Amino acid sequence: MKNEILRIDRVTCLDQGATELNHFCLDIDAGEIVGLIPLNDMGLTTLLRLLQQNLPIHYGYVYYRGKLVNQWKNPSGGYNRIALIENHSGLADDLTVADNVFVLRQGFKKIFIRQKVLNQQLEPFFKEIDVDLSPVACVRELPVFQRFVAELVKAVVAGCSLIVLREAGSIVSDAQLGYLHKILRHYANQGISFLYISNHYEEVGQICSRAALMQNGQIVKVLQTSDTTSDELQCLGVEDYTKLVYTQEETRHFAGKKKEVMALRSLYYGSINSLNLSINQGECVVLQDLDNNIFQQLIRLLSAEAKPMHGQIIVDDKVFDRSQIRDIAIVQQQPTQSMIFPHLSYMDNLCFTADHRLSSIWRHKRSRRNVRSEFEGLLGNEVFDRSVETLSQKEKYELVYTRILLQRPRVAVCVQPFMQADVSQRMQIWKLIDRLLEKKIAVVILAVNLTDSLSLADRLIQIEDGRVVSIYNRKDFDKLPSSTPWHNLWKNKSKTN
Amino acid sequence: MKKKSVMHYLINRRTLLWIVQLMVTLMLIIALVASPQMSQADRALMVSVSIAICAGVLIALYFWVIRPYRRVEHMINLFLEGYTLSGLDSTTTTISPLMERMVGSVKTELNASHLLKLSKRQAQFRALQNQINPHFLYNTLESIRSEALVAGLDSVAEMTEALAVFFRYTISKVENLVTMEEELQNCNTYFRIQQYRFGPRLSLDIQCDPEDKEAIYRCRIPKLTMQPILENSIIHGTEFKIGAGKLTVKLERTEDRLVILVSDDGIGMNEATLSKLNENLDKSGLALHEQKDESKGGVALVNVNNRIHLLFGEEYGLHVFSMPNVGTDVQIVLPMITSDRMVIGQEVL
Repeated sequence: MKNEILRIDRVTCLDQGATELNHFCLDIDAGEIVGLIPLNDMGLTTLLRLLQQNLPIHYGYVYYRGKLVNQWKNPSGGYNRIALIENHSGLADDLTVADNVFVLRQGFKKIFIRQKVLNQQLEPFFKEIDVDLSPVACVRELPVFQRFVAELVKAVVAGCSLIVLREAGSIVSDAQLGYLHKILRHYANQGISFLYISNHYEEVGQICSRAALMQNGQIVKVLQTSDTTSDELQCLGVEDYTKLVYTQEETRHFAGKKKEVMALRSLYYGSINSLNLSINQGECVVLQDLDNNIFQQLIRLLSAEAKPMHGQIIVDDKVFDRSQIRDIAIVQQQPTQSMIFPHLSYMDNLCFTADHRLSSIWRHKRSRRNVRSEFEGLLGNEVFDRSVETLSQKEKYELVYTRILLQRPRVAVCVQPFMQADVSQRMQIWKLIDRLLEKKIAVVILAVNLTDSLSLADRLIQIEDGRVVSIYNRKDFDKLPSSTPWHNLWKNKSKTN
Repeated sequence: MKKKSVMHYLINRRTLLWIVQLMVTLMLIIALVASPQMSQADRALMVSVSIAICAGVLIALYFWVIRPYRRVEHMINLFLEGYTLSGLDSTTTTISPLMERMVGSVKTELNASHLLKLSKRQAQFRALQNQINPHFLYNTLESIRSEALVAGLDSVAEMTEALAVFFRYTISKVENLVTMEEELQNCNTYFRIQQYRFGPRLSLDIQCDPEDKEAIYRCRIPKLTMQPILENSIIHGTEFKIGAGKLTVKLERTEDRLVILVSDDGIGMNEATLSKLNENLDKSGLALHEQKDESKGGVALVNVNNRIHLLFGEEYGLHVFSMPNVGTDVQIVLPMITSDRMVIGQEVL
């Protein structure tokens, strides 16, 4: 007999008259790990709010732990004990892990807090899942994986029967992801259910028994992952994307050794420990940090905010300093939020990193007109006159990457470019990065998980403990583990060769 | 032009704004006309009391007038969109005695028993529409079977027997609820008939947890719930598929629900068609009044769904999942009942 923990039954939810969830139907049993793959991001935020908050709904019923908690006739309001763990930490940064787990828990009423008792109570939880995490550690100082585990334990201690994990694969490294899955299975065996949200079929297939595909605010299909082959999973809803990658694979060739544009020589800074690598012109290199430890430090160095303790960064045969800042462009994580400046006009947003190439652009209207006419074909005519806040996600991505194109750096460093992007956005980002490569700009993708990056890469460099541990050239990608995204592409290619 | 009630004007946003403005003005006047002999403290007290009264009036207005009105308005909106019939009688707030009478009248018009008969009539096999005498049909089929046996045409005899069993279940048994076992037998019979047409191209797999099998098979469900869906899966799903088609019926139960999943690996449908189909299923009230052309497809699902709504309430019913070139799943959710006395809408049986 099934023991349903959550049942969302034919829910239609509107937000300012626009349909967000459309006849949405999903059920999760006790101890089940169900995947949710959003084919586009419509309705996902509303769904997450609905799970936790019992928002007023247009039609339908929501049952949690066997009770009707929300329905169209009489919205109950109130909160459900469902935890959401995502990229943004839900913990209080300045408190210890024990304080976060116990003191901030709903229903904690003690006036005098005995830290020692809390620590003693928390230790068995970490021991149970074999995680070495101190209860007195300050959350701010925790590495990403430990923060993730602390949130998970907090949800378990709070008595949540359902825990929602959003994009875990893009937050923790490959090795850590495997360990996280082990922890999830452990809790699933104890009857806790998980909704595992990821844009990647391979990741969902590794851990989930069922995968629900969500498109335009409705669940279009629920697949049994055990019955679905990886080839079939790959094709679901991403036919166009697959076609694009396969076509590009046939046409694009990285033509041998080219001029070196950037090199890191015996670099030491923070967790970076004797990092050596070189990047060539027009080359796409994926740097995969297996510990998820060095990216913030590397970005500080590459944006000239800090100087290396030892070693050098060489750009165009010169030691990198602030005068060469425009030679390295950084595309931040989720750039549509972090790299669009709402108080600037579209043109200002587009051109402000091109000051070294177009010094007269702010003085002469003619320069701005020229830029506009040059990029109108690429961006469209009407976007230039609009406020950047009114732009769609697609237009924002276009703006960010075209800014890089206009800046014309030697190297573009993209930090987890595919993070939290739905299929259509991933396809667009893929094309935009490809456009940079066509212009002979070297692209360095900083990735914790490989996801779509590998389909563009000429080389994969894996980093562990702050240093390079392995390098794979494109022709060797078929030697990577079979769970690697796009593995079939390399496997088929090596067979035909 | 229709007359508008005071309530109608009261909930009008502009009127509310006027009320707020009026109260603020009133407070100002009170503050101004207060006797000059009044002490500063008394004046402050007077203003505080008037603010408290205004706030109280506004809160009462929200909880006693606006919120109930909005709830009723939402329910009426859904009813007009065709979403719900039960919402009409479940509403606890009526705006005026006249509206209460109107709701009563609409309820009588939409008498569940009448609607169920209407729906049941549609669900019964098309043969009924042609006024075929069942006994005449069975006797003829039996004669064909005998002739086939004599002629050594075993497959024709088996096919005829299956057809006779199928018609007997569909036409003769007039009760509303049957056991899951009976319904599954009918599905198997129907599938046998279809297999003569499709041969090994079509397969049917019925999955059920052995521990729950007995309880599930004893469960009472509306007659002809599964066969029309199976028929739909074959006709709209696997018939146009190149290669073999697989149909799966998965039976599961929770403490109080029976969940049946009828799946095919056929051609599926695109997201827009799926959305429209699910919308039609949810808007069952509208579907009952607009008796759609059967040739348009999806009517069988709507009919089955309507009968479930009328018998067990809107918490139960059908939902469809589908993807092009992957297949279609129809999920049927029913209450877990083993006796007809447990049916909510008993009067309609």
